[in-house]
Parts: sequence; structure tokens; C-alpha cells
Amino acid sequence: MKTVKRVILFFVILAVLLGASSAWIHAEAVKLADFIPGRSRPFLTIAAEKKETLDLVVVGDSESYTSVSPMQMWKEQGIAGYICGQPGQKIQETYYMLKTALKEQSPKVVVLETNLMFRDPGPIKNLQSTIAEPARYHFPLLRFHNLWKIAFDGKKPGEPVFKGFSIRSGVAPFDSGDYMKETEEVQEMPKAVQFYMEEIRELCKRSGAELVLMSAPSPKNYSCKKHNAIENYAKEKGLTYVDLNLKIKELGMDWQQDSYDKGDHLNLFGAQKVTAWLGKYLKEKYEMPDHRNDPAYENWNRMEKKYAEIIQKAAL
Amino acid sequence: MAYHAALYVFVFLPVCLVAYQSMPQRHRWKVLLGFSWLFFYLISGKLIIYLIGTTLLTHYTGIWLTLLKEKECREKEQADRAAKREIKKKYQKQGRAVLALGVILLLAVLAYMKYYNFFVDNASLILDRLLLPLPLETKRIILPIGISFYTLQAIGYMADVYWGKIRAEENVFRNALFLGFFPQIMEGPICRYTDTAGELFAGKPLSYENLSDGYVRIFWGLFKKKVIADRLSVPVSAVFDHYGDHHGAVIAAAAVAYTIQLYMEFSGCMDIVIGSGKLFGICLPENFRQPFSARSAAEFWRRWHISLGTWFKTYIFYPVSMSGLVKKWNQFGKKHAGKYITQLGVSAIALFPVWLCNGLWHGARWSYIFYGMYYFTLILLGIAVKPGRDRILKVCRINEDALYWRIIQIGKTWVIIFTGELFFRADGLRAGLSMFRSMFDGFDIRQFWDGTMLGFGLSRADFAAIAAGCIVVAVVGHLKERGGTVNGRLKKVPTPVRWCVYYALIFAVLLLGAYGDGYQAVDLIYAGF
Amino acid sequence: MDKILEILREIDDSVDYAKETKLIDGHILDSFGVITLVSELEDEFDISIEAAEMVPDNFNSAEAIWEMVKRLQEN
Repeated sequence: MKTVKRVILFFVILAVLLGASSAWIHAEAVKLADFIPGRSRPFLTIAAEKKETLDLVVVGDSESYTSVSPMQMWKEQGIAGYICGQPGQKIQETYYMLKTALKEQSPKVVVLETNLMFRDPGPIKNLQSTIAEPARYHFPLLRFHNLWKIAFDGKKPGEPVFKGFSIRSGVAPFDSGDYMKETEEVQEMPKAVQFYMEEIRELCKRSGAELVLMSAPSPKNYSCKKHNAIENYAKEKGLTYVDLNLKIKELGMDWQQDSYDKGDHLNLFGAQKVTAWLGKYLKEKYEMPDHRNDPAYENWNRMEKKYAEIIQKAAL
Repeated sequence: MAYHAALYVFVFLPVCLVAYQSMPQRHRWKVLLGFSWLFFYLISGKLIIYLIGTTLLTHYTGIWLTLLKEKECREKEQADRAAKREIKKKYQKQGRAVLALGVILLLAVLAYMKYYNFFVDNASLILDRLLLPLPLETKRIILPIGISFYTLQAIGYMADVYWGKIRAEENVFRNALFLGFFPQIMEGPICRYTDTAGELFAGKPLSYENLSDGYVRIFWGLFKKKVIADRLSVPVSAVFDHYGDHHGAVIAAAAVAYTIQLYMEFSGCMDIVIGSGKLFGICLPENFRQPFSARSAAEFWRRWHISLGTWFKTYIFYPVSMSGLVKKWNQFGKKHAGKYITQLGVSAIALFPVWLCNGLWHGARWSYIFYGMYYFTLILLGIAVKPGRDRILKVCRINEDALYWRIIQIGKTWVIIFTGELFFRADGLRAGLSMFRSMFDGFDIRQFWDGTMLGFGLSRADFAAIAAGCIVVAVVGHLKERGGTVNGRLKKVPTPVRWCVYYALIFAVLLLGAYGDGYQAVDLIYAGF
Repeated sequence: MDKILEILREIDDSVDYAKETKLIDGHILDSFGVITLVSELEDEFDISIEAAEMVPDNFNSAEAIWEMVKRLQEN
């Protein structure tokens, strides 16, 4: 009995230590968000956003943050949007990213870029993420443990990111023709994705956000098979689904100009076309507010100016 | 899922522990077997059939040998002394044939899997010269995990039965557990049946003592692997994979870095392995004993990968040195060559196969064979110069235990080790030789601090973590060298102090570990052999 | 028994073999010493020592060596 008590005491102390140091590290990391490299950064930058200011949150893998530019959407529609995308985001990460975002924000719309719905790392990796992600969420120490390195290496600012969007102006054309040939086939969605999609739907419902599925234009990643799968899923769950791969003409997409890496990701010019379309679409469909003249959003206007300067240079 | 994966430490082990404890004592070993096969299946999938095949072969060879032994005893009972000798001879012959059959079959599988491509490559090289075509092509062969380790263990078991040291196990599933016990399947230690069998099948209940000792050991292993080894893998690969771009001090640093990486990684993995065994009350033999305080190459090998060295000593070195060839040489030498030459000859005959096998065991590459021969030469040289050296020391009145002399010897051994590991890691023998030469080309000691070393993917912070980690490992090693274990010492200090050390260890792994953003997970090196 | 002590002293004369009980475990005799010892024993006592006998227990003390030799002579 005495041993049991000691063991419990040991783990209680350990939990307290972990919790306290996690809270401290997280607070410090949010302050240093701009200097923290790597794919976990959006967890910090979204937490650093002013409370209850965002109208739109986008989650997804690299397709998300190369396709939608919040600054442009701000300029055109006055929607305050934020991209919480990560390279190769896993569905478990999507869930906890959204959970982090919705803690202090109540956006009207959450857009989920659908490419990650087909990512299947296999049962072991899936199990690993399913256990690791909640641990990282509850003990941010595990996610930001490398923070101590700043003490030795100094602060190095990462590339400028505009509300989650990174500017890439390189061009590598895609030229293999129609990739959305019609078929009856349906791509299978991994079990883990189906499970976490339920959780994500629940999360959005609770915070009063509309969940919209969006497929960004990407010849390399999309096909009719995937479209059918998402279409079926959206119908079954009563979700809105927009597949931009079927709107290439409407968007005015030019694969000679708008692809960053031969049909995988869009470059700045492709993203501009998607953003223009999406902003209008959301504005009309969900009556998104316009904050452009709201004094509380003054810093958005300032950031937009900086953004405009950079993209002007990039377009040359 | 390797041993250093969080999934293994925090999910696989606990689930296994619960399943183990919830079974009645006499069935617990079956739980271990089930989890062992699951573990193997998770890593190697269908290739588990190789493990099962090896198990069956080993098991029935063992039984056959024991049956022969029993028959021999029965026949001997009514025989007189002369007849006894005859019977013994007869059965020795039969036993030897059975053992040979088992060993050759096992080795054939191992040889095919590991050395087929090497053979084809080199054979076609030779045949090309003779303008003959070779009707064989290289194949992509995926090795079942741990085949080099469990095959040796299986051979050891059969030899032990043949020698009459143990009786063959009667239950095939018990043998399956002996060969496939999950903590040791990937990287050893290579155990003898008498090492582990008793505890494996005992099904001892879990105890607080074992659980805490086991997990402390596991975290210690994680510390070595995550904080030091995984960090070093980045610059080591950078230099060794593009060796043509570097020379001088960078090559020397890479050789040292790789040696540290390999040690931290392999011994760290052994800590996790031995800790895992300990959780279930199973004491696996130690595989390392502070190898860097060795004073000679020979001593280094008594402290590094001990279970492999012991295996070679037991099943190759002694049998060879007891063989007719050595005995004949001994008699011949005593008459004609003198004691010194005779002993040197015996050493050479007995050591050569050991080091050839040591090299080959690591894989089919000329650089590994070179690595084996490198140590063969050095150790034989050590034996050859010993009488002369002893005399010089006596004349110069050098006290062998004096600190300065020990430091010189340890330093010399380090140079030997680092050079060996340079060839071991290099991508082929040609690359190794080229790297070795370029090390002396434009060696500039300033490169160590002028920032050159920061160009290989590690920042100042990473170097600081490596240095701090190495110091801790060195201190712990020093304490162990002076006797006892550090965990044992810790048990004598007041609980709060001890707990603080445990918390420090846990936090060191969590904070300083090279995992998460900016780091790649690094596979276990020895699991590839 | 005396013969054994004599052989041992020939290999290394700095040890008190009558008392020492950890010849192998204490790394006093290395593997080469053991080989030399074995070949001397085989000559001296006309026995054949097989690899199977190569365990520390058989060589840890002069006493143990003597026991082994007696056992092998009986067979």
C-alpha cells in the first residue's frame, strides 16, 4: 500500500511539473512565435491572434496555404481569415489545430482543404499520431521543446508569413491535360480520417462554425475518384463541398503560369485566382462581415500594405 | 516500431505488461511469445515465417541430438570400458553429423539472404575478366528483422545441446520464445539458452522494484539515443555520404562523431532492451562495459558488443583452438619453433576465423571484411609485441597502473577505434581508403573552432546538447567502472534526491531530445546488420 | 594437483594459484592462457579436452581444473 501511494505521488508530481513547464513554455513560445521554425508554428501564431477576431479559419496540408491568401481576401472582401495549414498535415493534427484555433476564436466558416482526407500512413503511424497529438496538445512542452535552442543560437526570423499564407512566385508549368476524367470509381477514405472528420464536425458545430470542404486545384493530387469520394461524404453528412478542380475555366486557371511545381501546388498567381473566387463565394453564401473600416482591425490594413509591396516585387 | 519509438515504450510495453500480469503464472511465457511474434510481424510482416522456420529447425535438431545422447547412455550402461569408447566414438560421429546439418541449413539461409548479392557481384567481376557470362543476377532481398542475431542464438543452442551442456527443450513454443523474445530480437544481446531460459519461462509476477529499475534503464537508453546519437546522425551522414567534398579535420571529426553516434545508439538501445527485459524480471546479459576506457584493442572487444564477442569465443575461437590442426601445430611448434612462435601461430590460427566472421557478420561488404582484418592484425600484433614490450617497460621502470600511462594507452586505443569505425561506416572500402588518405590532406586544426563544424546541419545549441550528454554518459560510465550501478547507488540516497534525478532524466529526454520539428527520426543502425 | 600448479606457474608466475578462485571471471587467465593450459593438460594427463569443457567453472581455480582432469581421465 505504501508503495502504491509512493508511485501515485511520483506521477502526480511528474504531471504537475509537466503541466507547469508546458504552460510556461507555451506562453514563451507564443511570444517568440515569429522565430520558431517548422511545421508547428501555426499552433503558436493562431494562439497569438487577437481574441474573437477571425471570421474564417482554413486547415489542411500544403495545398491550403499555397492556395488561399488571407491578405488578398481582406483587401477584396474585408474578411479576416487565417490559414492553419502545415506541410503534410495529418488528420489528427487537423483536429488539434482546429481545437487550438477555436479556443479563442469563433469564425463563421471553417474551410478544410480535402487533400489530407486521403493521407494514409498505415495503422502503426496512425496509432502513433492518435496518441501523440493529444499528448502534444495537452503538454505543449512536447511540441515546443526545442525552444531552449534559441538561448544558444539566437533569434532567426523565419520567412514572412501573412496570416498563414506564404508567398511563392516561382513557376513550373503543368502540361499533361485533363486530370479529372469522369469515372464511377470511388477512392477509399482511411478509417482514421472518417473517425476524426466526425470529431471535426462536432467541434465546428459546438463553436457555431460552418464546415466547408474545399479541394484546391492540384492536378497532381486530385482525380475524379477522389472527387466522388468527397462528394459522397459531403452529401451523407450534409456538408458543403466545393471542388475547384472542376472550376478551372471559371477560375481562369492557366497551368502554364499558375503552377509552382508542375501541378502539385499553386504559386502566388494561382492562389490569387482561387482567393478571389473563394472570397466572393463565402461572402455571398455566408454573409461574411466586412471589417475593413473597423478600427479594431487597423493592424490588418497595415499588414495588407506590407503584403502588397512584397507581391508587387514578386510579380516583376 | 523500433525500441526507441514512443509507441513501443508507452503503449506496446504497458499493454504487454498488463496482459502478462493478468495471466496465471504458468501461462505468462505464452503472453511473451504472443507479443514477441506480434512485434516481429509489425516490423517484418510475412517474413516471420523465417523466424518460425528457424525455430522449428533448431528445436528438432536439438531434440534429435538429445535422443542420440540418451541412446548412447543406455548402450553404455552394459558395456565395459573398451566398448564404451567405441560407443562414444560412434555417437560422436552421428551427433556431429546432425549438428552440422542443422548449422549448415541455418547458415545457408543467412548466407543466401545476406551474401547472395555480394557473391553475384564479385563472381561476375571475376568471370567478366575471363569473358564468361554469369547466369545469376542480383536480387533485392528484404531481410527479416534480427536474422543475424537469432541465427547465431539458434546455432549456439544447437551446439550447447550437442556438447551436452543443456538438454533440448521439449516444448517447441518455449524454444520459439527463447529465439524470438521481442526485446532482444532486433539487436541482441545474443543470449545462450542458460542465460535467459529460466527467467523467460518462470512467469515471475511484476514487481515495483523491477518496473522502476526497468523504466529508469529505458529512459537512460532514450537519453543516449535521442539526445546524442540522433543529433550526430545529421553531420555524420553529411560527411560520409559526400566524402569527396571534405578533407582534413572534417574527416577526423566525422570519424569521432560516428563512433560516438554508434556507441550511444547501440548501447542506448541495449539499455532499452535490458530495461524491457527487467520489467518482466528477466535479466538479459550486458552488451557493453565502458568500451572507451579500454587500454588495448583486445580489451575494447571485451567491452564492446560483448555478446557477439562471447559468441565468437565460445563457438569459433575455442573449437578452433581445440581442433586437430591447432594441436598438431602445437606439437610441431614445440619441437621446432620455440614457445613464442608456437603461441603466436596458435593465436593466428584461432583468431583469423573469428575476425573474418566478425567482419562478415556485419554484412557482405569488403569494407566489413577489412574491418575484421584490421582488428585481427592489431590484436595479433599486440600478442606479438607483448614479450618485448613487457621487457622494455621493466627496463624503463614504467608502472603500468600509473595514471599517465593509462591515459596514453587509452588514447592509443581511441585512435584505433576511431580509425576502425571510419572504415566501418564508409560507403565501401574504396571510400574508406580515400577518406583515410584525405584526412591527412590539408589537416587544419583551426577547423574545429572556426565555424566549419557548424556547416553540417547542427547549430551551437546542438553541439552544447551533445557535449552535455557526453559528459553525463562519461560520468555515469566512470562511476560504473568503479563498481556497482548508478541506479544501485541512487537507491541509497534519500527519496527526494533520487526522484529529482529521475525527473531530471525524464525532462532531459523530453527537452533535449532530437525529435519533432527540424529532426528526422533515425532508424537503429544495428538492426540493419 | 601439484602438476597443475606447476603448469599454471609456467604460464604466469605472478599469481598464487593455490588460493585464487577467479582465474577466468577475474580476467587473470585470458583466452590464450587457457589454450596454452589446455594443450599442456592434454599432454600431461593424456586426456582430450573438448570445446564443450570451455566454461569458466572448469578453469576458475586449480582445484576446479584438477576436478575436470580427474573426470576426463575416468571416461
